Amino acid sequence: MPEKTVKLKIKRQASPNVEPHWDEFEIPWKSGMNVISAMMDIATNPVTKDGQQTTPIAYDSNCLEEICGSCAMLINGKARMACSALVDRFEQPITVEPLSKFPLVRDLSVDRSVLFENLKAVKAWVPVDGTYDLGSGPRMTPQQQEQNYPLSNCISCTICMEVCPQFNEETNFVGAATISQVALFNDHPTGAVLKEERLHALMGDGGIHECGYAQNCVESCPKEIPLTRSISRVAGQVMVQSIKDIFSS
Amino acid sequence: MSDRFETHEHDVLIIGAGGAGLRAAIEALAHGAKVGVVCKSLLGKAHTVMAEGGIAAAMANVDSADGWIPHFRDTMRGGKMLNNWRMAQLHAQESIDRVKELEQWGALFDRTSDGNILQRAFGGHTFKRLCHVGDRTGLEMIRTLQDRGVEMGVDVYMECTITKLLKDGDRIAGAFGYWREQGRFVQFKAKSVIICTGGIGKSWKITSNSWECTGDGMALAYDAGAELLDMEFVQFHPTGMVWPPGVQGILVTEAVRGEGGLLTNKLGERFMQKYDPKKMELSTRDVVARSIYTEVKEGRGSEHGGAFLDISHKPAEYVKQKLPSMYHQFKELADVDITKQPMEVGPTCHYMMGGIRVEAETAQTTVPGLFAAGEAAAGLHGANRLGGNSLSDLVVFGRRAGLAAAEHAKKVSAPNIDASEIERAEREMLAPFDQSAGESPYAVHRDLQDMMQSLVGIFRVEDDLKTALAELDKLKERATKVRVEGSRMFNPGWHLARDLQCMLTVSEAVTRSALARKESRGAHSRIDYPGLDEQWGKQNNITKREGETMMLKQVARPPLPDDLKKILDE
Repeated sequence: MPEKTVKLKIKRQASPNVEPHWDEFEIPWKSGMNVISAMMDIATNPVTKDGQQTTPIAYDSNCLEEICGSCAMLINGKARMACSALVDRFEQPITVEPLSKFPLVRDLSVDRSVLFENLKAVKAWVPVDGTYDLGSGPRMTPQQQEQNYPLSNCISCTICMEVCPQFNEETNFVGAATISQVALFNDHPTGAVLKEERLHALMGDGGIHECGYAQNCVESCPKEIPLTRSISRVAGQVMVQSIKDIFSS
Repeated sequence: MSDRFETHEHDVLIIGAGGAGLRAAIEALAHGAKVGVVCKSLLGKAHTVMAEGGIAAAMANVDSADGWIPHFRDTMRGGKMLNNWRMAQLHAQESIDRVKELEQWGALFDRTSDGNILQRAFGGHTFKRLCHVGDRTGLEMIRTLQDRGVEMGVDVYMECTITKLLKDGDRIAGAFGYWREQGRFVQFKAKSVIICTGGIGKSWKITSNSWECTGDGMALAYDAGAELLDMEFVQFHPTGMVWPPGVQGILVTEAVRGEGGLLTNKLGERFMQKYDPKKMELSTRDVVARSIYTEVKEGRGSEHGGAFLDISHKPAEYVKQKLPSMYHQFKELADVDITKQPMEVGPTCHYMMGGIRVEAETAQTTVPGLFAAGEAAAGLHGANRLGGNSLSDLVVFGRRAGLAAAEHAKKVSAPNIDASEIERAEREMLAPFDQSAGESPYAVHRDLQDMMQSLVGIFRVEDDLKTALAELDKLKERATKVRVEGSRMFNPGWHLARDLQCMLTVSEAVTRSALARKESRGAHSRIDYPGLDEQWGKQNNITKREGETMMLKQVARPPLPDDLKKILDE
C-alpha cells in the first residue's frame, strides 16, 4: 500500500539577484504535520519530487508555538504563520512563497527590518532615563491594562503590512502594526509624553492618511489585534493634534 | 590581526538577545560602553518569548507579608541548598527593582484593583509572587527590552552564529562566527564578552526548547577555559507532548490530571493503580514521572515512547472551559483535539540549572573579561528551579553582567587577536565540506537525542550513564566525520554540524556530572541512589577542559554566613 504523502511547491531564490524558480517535493505524511515541520523533514533529505538533489529551504522560524512571529509566509497565496499551517487543511500541492512586500534574502526569508525603522520613526517606547532608579511605574487600573493588553500582543510578524493594499513603495505607508504601537504608547501614562511627536511622525510621508480602510490587516492578524480600532483611535488623535497645531502656530 | 574578514569592534560584545542579553546591553550602554549584540535568529524572537507563567519578585502587592527573605528562603529550599547563596540573595533583593523598571519601561503587567502589579501564586513560592502579563509574560518582557534597546541605539547582528571565543593570553579578546544567511565569516574584537545564549534542550529528543537552544554559550566558554558548574541538574517536565511532531515537547499542564485526565499504557491499563492506588493520577509530579518512566522502560509505553493522557471522557465543553489555552494550542498547531483523543506524553527537557560558573556580584567567569548571565550561567537555582525565577534571573544578572562588563572594558587596553586562532577557527568550520564520505549531521543529531532521552533523561542509573559515555565517544567520533552538501549559503546541515559539537560537549558534561553525583537531589534523580547524601549536599560539580580531556572535580559549597543561615533555619 503506498504511504500517504504531502506535496509541496516551494518558491526558491538563492539570492535577490537571480530569478526565482519552484521546487516540488513529495514527502511522507505525519499526523499533525504543519508547513514548518514539513520543511524540517525536507532539510534532512533535500531531494525534489523528481529525485533531484537540492539544498534545504531557507526560512525564518523559532518558537513553533505562534508566539515569536518569525515564520510569516504566503501559503496557498495567503499570508500566515507557517508553524500553525496544518498541511491537512490545505489543498495540495501546497504552495509556499516568501512575503512579497519585503526585500528577499533567500528562498522564504525576507528582510523585515522596515518594521523596526517605522517603530523608531514613531518613537514606540516609553522614554525614561535608565541610569538611576525610578521606583515603581505609574499606577494603572485593571480596565486600562485590559484595554491595552490586546495591543501589546503584537508579535512583529508583519502580516498586517503584507496584506495591506496601501503598504507599498509609492505610499511609504508605515502599516497597521506601527500605528497600533502608537495607540499603545500614547495611552501609557509615561509614554504619553511623546504623544505629540508620534502624531507628527504619522502626519508626514507614509503617515496614517495613507490607510485606505481595506480592513485586510485586522482579518489577517494571527493575534487578532483590533488593528482597525487602533487606526481609528490614532486617526482621531492626529486630527485633534493638527487642529491644535493650527492654533499654536 | 587577520584582516581577511569583516571585523567589528566593541567594548562589550553580548552573545544572545534574549532577556539576559538585552538587559545586559541596556546596562552596558547606560554606562557608556560601545555594545554589540549577536543573535542566531531575529531580534525579538529569542526563546524568552515562550515563557508564560510570570516573573518572580517579592513586591508584596498582594501578600503584604512577602519580602526578599521569604523569596530567598523559597529559592534555596527549591534548589535543595545547592544554590550559590549570594546569587539567591541578590536575586531575591534585586528582582523587585528589576520588575519596577520593566513597568517604568512600559511592560503592561496585569493589575490589582488599586492599580499595582498583580501577583499570582506558583508552586514552591510561599506567597503570591509572580508578576505576569496574561500568559505571555516572556513576550512582553522581550518587547519591552527590545523597544528600550532600540531607543538606546544598540547594534544588533542578527542571524549570526559565534563558533569560537578568541583570547589574548588568558583574557578574552573577542569572538569568531559566521552569518547564517551568507555563510561568510565575521570577527568581533571586544574587551568584554557576555554569554547569554540560554539552554541546552536540543540535546534531547523531547524538549520544550526552541531550535536555538543547543548549548552554544556553555560549549564556547568551556572551550575558552571557563568552568561549568553542576551540569547534572537538568529540569524535565514529566508530561510533554511526544507526538505529533508539530507539538513535540510542548508542556501539558498538570491541570489536565487535576481535571480528571487518565493515564494509560499501550495495553490500555491505568497503570497508576500499581504505583499509587490511592491518589492515582493525582499523585505527586515525581511519582507520576517515575511511573511513566517505568512503564516505558518495561516495554509498555506508547509508540513514541510515552504514555497516554486522556481527558476525552469529560464533556467537550467542560474541557474547553477548564483548559482553554491547551485546547486551542494543540488544535491549532497539530490538529490534536484533546476533547476527542488522548495525548501522548512523556518527559520533556525544559530548563538547565547548571551552566557556566560565575561570580555572584559581577557574573564574571573564571576567564578574565568573560561574563555569563541567564540560563547559560549557573548557581542561582541550585538543584532545581522554581517557576518564575528564570525571568527574574535574566534581568537581575543580565543587568549585573552588563554593568561589570562595561566597567571591565574601561579598565583594560584593546586586546590583540591571534591570527593563528582565527585560522584554526576557520579550518574547523570548513572541515565538513572537505569530507568525501561520511554521514549527515542530522543522523548523528538524531542518535544523540535518542540516546540522551533514554539514558540521561529524567531518571538516571549508573549502567545507563556509563553506556551513555561510551555512546558519546562514538558520537563524537562520528561528528568529526560528518559531511555537508552544497555551499555555505544558508545551509542548515552545515549549521547543525557546528551546533552538534556544542551539544556533544554539554551532553558529556551533563553525563559525567550525573554519573559522579551518587544521590538524588532536586532535578537529579538516581534510581540507584534514591536519597539525599550529606556529603554531596556540601559540594558542587565542576567541569573544566584540560587539554582535550574533560575533567570533573568537586568543590566545597561556600559556607552560609550566619544571618542567612538563620533565615533558612526558621
